[in-house]
Amino acid sequence: MSASGLAVGVQETVAPPRRRTSPMIYFLLAIAALLVVSLVRVLTGAGNLTSSGTVAAALTAAVPIALAGLAGLWSERAGVINIGLEGMMVLGTFGAGLFGWQWGPWAGVLAGVVLGAVGGLIHAVATVTFGVDHIISGVAITLAAPGLTLFLAKLYFTDAPGGGQKQSPPIEDVPHVTIPGLSSVLADIEQQQWFFVSDLAGLLRGLTTDVSLLTLLAVVLFFVTAYVLWRTAFGLRLRSCGEAPHAAESLGVNVYKYKYAAITMSGALAGLGGAILAVASSQFRDGQTGGRGYIGLASMIFGNWRPGGVAAGAGLFGYTDAMQLRGEGAVHALLLLLGIALLVLAVVQLRAKRYVVAGVATVIGALFILWFALTDQVPPELVSAAPYVVTLLVLSLAAQRLRVPKWIGRTYRRGEGG
Amino acid sequence: MNVAVRTGTVHALVGENGAGKSTLMKILYGMQRPDEGTISIDGTQGDFHTPADAIAVGIGMVHQHFMLADNLTVLENVVLGDEPRGGGGIDFKAARAKIKDISARYGLGVDPDRLVDELGVGERQRVEILKVLFRGARILILDEPTAVLVPQEVDELFGNLRELKAEGLTILFISHKLDEVLSVADDITVMRRGTTVASVAPGDVTARQLAELMVGSALPVPELRESTVTDTPVLEAEGLTVTSPDGRTVLEGMSVTINAGEVLGIAGVEGNGQAELVEALMGIRPLQAGRIALRGEDITKLSTRKRRDAGIGYIPEDRHRQGVLLEATLWENRILGHQTKAPSVRGLLLNRSGARADTQRIVDEYDVRTPNIDVLAGSLSGGNQQKLIVGREMSGNPVLLIASHPTRGVDVGAQAAIWEQIRKARAEQLAVLLISADLDELIGMSDSLAVILRGRLVASYDPKAVTPEELGSAMTGAGDGEES
Repeated sequence: MSASGLAVGVQETVAPPRRRTSPMIYFLLAIAALLVVSLVRVLTGAGNLTSSGTVAAALTAAVPIALAGLAGLWSERAGVINIGLEGMMVLGTFGAGLFGWQWGPWAGVLAGVVLGAVGGLIHAVATVTFGVDHIISGVAITLAAPGLTLFLAKLYFTDAPGGGQKQSPPIEDVPHVTIPGLSSVLADIEQQQWFFVSDLAGLLRGLTTDVSLLTLLAVVLFFVTAYVLWRTAFGLRLRSCGEAPHAAESLGVNVYKYKYAAITMSGALAGLGGAILAVASSQFRDGQTGGRGYIGLASMIFGNWRPGGVAAGAGLFGYTDAMQLRGEGAVHALLLLLGIALLVLAVVQLRAKRYVVAGVATVIGALFILWFALTDQVPPELVSAAPYVVTLLVLSLAAQRLRVPKWIGRTYRRGEGG
Repeated sequence: MNVAVRTGTVHALVGENGAGKSTLMKILYGMQRPDEGTISIDGTQGDFHTPADAIAVGIGMVHQHFMLADNLTVLENVVLGDEPRGGGGIDFKAARAKIKDISARYGLGVDPDRLVDELGVGERQRVEILKVLFRGARILILDEPTAVLVPQEVDELFGNLRELKAEGLTILFISHKLDEVLSVADDITVMRRGTTVASVAPGDVTARQLAELMVGSALPVPELRESTVTDTPVLEAEGLTVTSPDGRTVLEGMSVTINAGEVLGIAGVEGNGQAELVEALMGIRPLQAGRIALRGEDITKLSTRKRRDAGIGYIPEDRHRQGVLLEATLWENRILGHQTKAPSVRGLLLNRSGARADTQRIVDEYDVRTPNIDVLAGSLSGGNQQKLIVGREMSGNPVLLIASHPTRGVDVGAQAAIWEQIRKARAEQLAVLLISADLDELIGMSDSLAVILRGRLVASYDPKAVTPEELGSAMTGAGDGEES
């Protein structure tokens, strides 16, 4: 019955009662993390680590990834692996480019959502109706989407004003908002370079100043997702399709319908992520997504298939991406930060008696600190790889007891339950 | 096929595996459509396309394999598909109150806020029953509800069923465990090969007569002939300790000794370390501590391959996952596990003709019913697959046979054949480790019996002097075992 080969004959094993982590713990963890970052800033003198500019850039970088992660969450919670996120994001960027330059950014975003949803629908038809392997269908979409959009781009953008064979004419940005008053007060505090206080001010200022409405939309969607999936009948049924579709079927739930809804929603969210990416960079460009769909998928796994976790994973990537844009000095400070983070992780894993992971984390962490101590800057060739390296390291070493939706990746056929 | 069920009774439907019980149930519950025929509820004809139609007329089903999502709470599992709404979402408060109310009324003792993953088998079953009652079902179908329960849990279940019956509910009870059927049913219908062969009242028949109606012939009995136990130890395992990947100790300081010609039976509720014990002995799971010796030679550090070569035969508990490749032919399956030895190989290459000849020998000797040895293993019935596995594991002259649930899910004929092979193995001075959930099989086929509970052997019994009830209490930790 169970999918994993390791669980032979222990299907009836009773799991130990799960401890639920309270929101307070997460809050304290965040404070502790900020303290460490603050300490590193003081030690290295890299003011960029917590400047409001970095935070704002991190937020902008995180949003498309976060939406891709959220898109993956919708699909996988209903039991369908969506590795086509990348392709659906590409469709989203193109939709934004095609409609955005003619009818404004909101029309572009809407078109991106619709095109993404179409991509999702194709994935749904393939995996749910025809029972195609989820990975194959997803990869096909990811391969087909850039080719299709490049072809269409040549067709529509070549002769358009400011457009080219591989890029759309410029798109206007959506309005940005700032909380009046607060921003300047925080700016003053940030200037003081006080330990922790200035860092906190920088963080808050970055989050409240000049924020795109699309970023706010993404934040709202996280709360909406959490509510819909965990508080409504629709969400419960959708999740049950990813856990035990035959149980859901036996209770009169139309599993096909919910899977379709979930995957289409997934495509729409990925399309939105792509559209936001295009609007934020003022045009559609070929190859614009740059693997963000996959990073989103990774942040979803890191986030244990929960919205809060997805946001945290995307935030991590966004932050390192922003650091990379700040240049070699910032990335150099990042070495120390990463080293410390890995050592903390090692202690956590040691307490959980995962000695191998703890050992690996210790060694890599120590190497990073050594690297930091022995050099003054990181070779520029490595700088742009920083976000990927950091994300890979943290995601693979921090991921603890993950709870995969039980029916993930498997074909469901009505009436085959036992 | 015809069956009539009276309101407010427990009606038992008995029959062998494959007699069509589960198909009938699926039709009654709208999961399959009948080609012909009708279903009437209280005189009105029902036409069920989906389970939702069946639920609507008050039919609820408790499936043999639990239909529960482990990662959801009890509450979520219960309300799924019939959620009380309120304020744009699920009305969790009302649902919780209703579940607690039903749970108290029928004495089910279910806590709505626990994860199903954390529940034991008996509790999961009560959640299934609650799920059905939550939807206001008046007719309950229970498909082999006792297959996974120990005797004490069965008694609790029957207590629950009597309370349900007292409330005027109708219960359709499917089983092939006849003692249970006789103790709980008001009417009994017997099925064989897709049709009803008899309708009887429990007072008029004995379990044996009922069984013979079921199979249409006399039944095999698990029993051993005179003792062949010697005092040459074949398997000596000391202080085996195994921890699971998430850090729990699943096997703790277990010591087992089996002599040549002895069958050691291990009784226990599933999930108490049986699978881990077997996998530790086979070298599939790493040991934290302990030592294993086969015929006096230390095999603790040997790989599974080397252990098999040293003379361990293994009948795995899940034949589809570990025993055979369903998509491979019989002779290819014969090679599995013997891919380093004659007659399966010659030098570095597979010896096709040797393997085929030996497969034919197994098919003949072990009475595997198959058109030829080139058919896929998946096209054979479970019993015939199992006979092939037994034959394969007995070739290559093993000294120790580990049999994990060797007769689970096989028909009566295959069961008799497999028992006979175990008897033969014992007579040939093999040491046999027998693990089973069927207590009659354990008592009948073992020379000595041990009970496993939470990764330890907590009691040992003389199979000649023990009853299934005594074993059952020891298995749940309720009774005290005597040292033999």
